Amino acid sequence: MVCMMTAKVEGLVNTAVTTVFETMLNMSMKDVAVESCSFGTQPQIASAVGFTGLMSGVIYLYTTIKFANRITGGLLGLSGIEAQREDYVNDAMGEMANMVVGHVKSRLTDHGVPCVMTIPSIVRGSGLGIEAVSRTQVKRMSFECGGDFLLVEVLIEMSDSGRR
Amino acid sequence: MGPKILTVDDSKTIRMIVARAFRTFACEVLEAADGVEGLAIVNREKPDIILLDYTMPVMDGFEMLNKLKSDPETRNIPVVMLTAEAGRDNVLKIARLGVRDYLVKPFKEDLVVERVGRIIDLKAWNEATTKAKRYDDPLQILLVDDKPAILDLIKSGLSDTNWVLNALTQAGQAVDFCSRQMPDAILVSLSLAEGAGFMLFQMMRAAFKTKSIPIFAMSVKTAVEEQQRAQQMGFSAIITKPIDVEDLKAKLARALNLDTSYRYFVQQDGVLLLKLPPNFNPHVSNDITVNLRAKVTESVDAGLGKLLMDMSPLTTADVNLIRLGITVTSLCQELGVKLTMIGSQVVSTECKNYEETKDWQFVNSYEEGLSQLSGASSGAR
Repeated sequence: MVCMMTAKVEGLVNTAVTTVFETMLNMSMKDVAVESCSFGTQPQIASAVGFTGLMSGVIYLYTTIKFANRITGGLLGLSGIEAQREDYVNDAMGEMANMVVGHVKSRLTDHGVPCVMTIPSIVRGSGLGIEAVSRTQVKRMSFECGGDFLLVEVLIEMSDSGRR
Repeated sequence: MGPKILTVDDSKTIRMIVARAFRTFACEVLEAADGVEGLAIVNREKPDIILLDYTMPVMDGFEMLNKLKSDPETRNIPVVMLTAEAGRDNVLKIARLGVRDYLVKPFKEDLVVERVGRIIDLKAWNEATTKAKRYDDPLQILLVDDKPAILDLIKSGLSDTNWVLNALTQAGQAVDFCSRQMPDAILVSLSLAEGAGFMLFQMMRAAFKTKSIPIFAMSVKTAVEEQQRAQQMGFSAIITKPIDVEDLKAKLARALNLDTSYRYFVQQDGVLLLKLPPNFNPHVSNDITVNLRAKVTESVDAGLGKLLMDMSPLTTADVNLIRLGITVTSLCQELGVKLTMIGSQVVSTECKNYEETKDWQFVNSYEEGLSQLSGASSGAR
């Protein structure tokens, strides 16, 4: 079951991202090739929420601060300088990751792969990237909305039970 | 301030979204970042409902819910789980603890309001604070009837008002209409095919946004069973066909609590003028009686101790007029208000025929009335 769900996780994440952005922000996220998603030298933000159980891993949402400000403004009904407040943006991006992972976690649980979620964490910087250690499977997908990009990385720990 | 809503979520974003969702309602939204903070606020503020997240640091939603349910002081506060964690097992686990509802993130703000509105009585700020609408306001009336003759009759009957009649022939169209625009009142025919009128009523009452809209059932006079069912279901009023449009307007005015007093009462020239319209009828008489005490008291409070009752447009003194006159006379005596009546010779003569009204004194014109009230002359008949 775990192996089967590992294979399906990409589809689950894809559905979760489009559902969360559509529901909370009325944003239509277009699935695009990972290669087309480039943040260049723009300041970035990454929000992450982990899940652990029969299947364990972390889901990261990477985007530019510019898009994160847009997301925050949409979520909180703010504009201008208020939508750029660092604490608001961090919390909003953390909550977006939380909702995406919550969506995925619920589907996993329904398919007999129960897990629990961690609380969100945020990293800011530029040129951010995750180097996966061995025994970790990495899946990447990217989305575009109005010229802004969102890169999603899913790290799944390949535990002994997961390989069975 | 209306009901208190407590949102317990470690995400400030969610707490802000919840607060924003209820900003147009007369309620207070309290916030807590975890279960410990949440319980402290519960004990201090006694909220009317709690929106509770599941995964939180310090104390999670499950533990907080357990503590709420084990305390007799708090166990009856309705709790709605608002969490990113769905899944059948989670739902079952939480349902066993007695939550009233369960909302999964992501969510639409409207959905939160809708679900909370099913549990506690929410009123929009404008509904709770603004004064009643006036009869001459452009009210939106939604008519749902597939009979063109009924539409024509009501349309024609409402032509002397500023009310906007939106006519539809099917219940489904009415549901769509209400999702775009909120009517002030709905008139629905019970003879629509397949009980659609009753179904429309149930749908309107089940939805938070439309649950308070007055809904009138229109039914053929002889369809007694249908009318009984409508009464049991809680329709605001039953209008029988053939429709008496004046009766319909009066019932709508009552159901919508419309201010009709300005049509009859006005403070001018140092007196309170009560002007009866040419179409004086039982509905008008009732309208005046309902507002009479408040209007006379208001004028006394404003320093006007004089009432001029103008019956000049009336050509006969019927029982409604006499009843109203007696009520006015009695109230003026009670409040020490000086009263003068303006009336035609015919009305004056007819009033002489009744024991209760034989002593009423009439003047011929507004000017004479003012003069008499100021004590300058006594031209009364």
